[in-house]
Amino acid sequence: MKATTPASPPRRSPPGDLAIWVFICAELLAFGVFFVAYAFARVGHVELFNESQLLLDRFSGALNTLVLITSSYFVVRAVAAIRKGEATLCTRWLLAAIGMGSLFLVIKVTEYGHKLEQGLDLGYNLFFMFYWTMTVFHFMHVILGMVILAAVALKAHRGGYSAQEHTGVETGASYWHMVDLVWIILFPLIYVIR
Amino acid sequence: MNSSGTDNRQNAWVRPCTAVWIVLMLLTVAVLAAGQAGLQGGAIVSVILVTTWLKTQMVADFFMGLRRTGGLWRIGITLYLLLVTGLIGLAYRMSAG
Repeated sequence: MKATTPASPPRRSPPGDLAIWVFICAELLAFGVFFVAYAFARVGHVELFNESQLLLDRFSGALNTLVLITSSYFVVRAVAAIRKGEATLCTRWLLAAIGMGSLFLVIKVTEYGHKLEQGLDLGYNLFFMFYWTMTVFHFMHVILGMVILAAVALKAHRGGYSAQEHTGVETGASYWHMVDLVWIILFPLIYVIR
Repeated sequence: MNSSGTDNRQNAWVRPCTAVWIVLMLLTVAVLAAGQAGLQGGAIVSVILVTTWLKTQMVADFFMGLRRTGGLWRIGITLYLLLVTGLIGLAYRMSAG
């Protein structure tokens, strides 16, 4: 019988520093309140929300989803690399993830520019109040996530992590995945379902 | 632990993550296609919300590694995802009259 190699053994606590998970839970709660508030605010303004949603660039929203998902996968590869003690490879995957994060920001800023040119700002109507509040809030989290990944990449490049000790890499990775997870809900909510 | 064992364990973790990455990309394109086709209504909203829950659960389980953690952390995140997508679904059902 062919022997199978088990994945890493089960662990009691999630990957990374426990403090980041407390932070992640707080962030998820904040985003959750936004999502649910948006959905229930829509109940009394269905036509307004549906018409306003058509003014968004759905394709750029989807493209950004693909970009963030891919960056999250790159971070998975970075964690796998450092668990094998390959710090250089880990750094490269993290830089690739940061590159995808930068692409996300460029696409989003371009979209923001178009919306502002059309006069669709925060005060335009209730839908755009939610659009700007939620997406800018998320935008700030992407920037913070990129700063964290950059700090982790720098430390990895300097040999600060090893196969035995890489909590920092897992901590940064967990935060970045949270940023991805939130956008995966945000995209269909704001851009698609009606 | 020897290096070969570590490599095998990491490969055993990365392979399903690669499959998840591809599935997430495909589901995103499917949701975009539904939007571009102008599909709407209760059934479509339900399908998209279930898809969204599935995608986020895969990110939590595989990318974030909660599948191996199990216990309260995984249950907590799963309940959060179900609650948020469920409440969004409830609101859309209410708005449909």
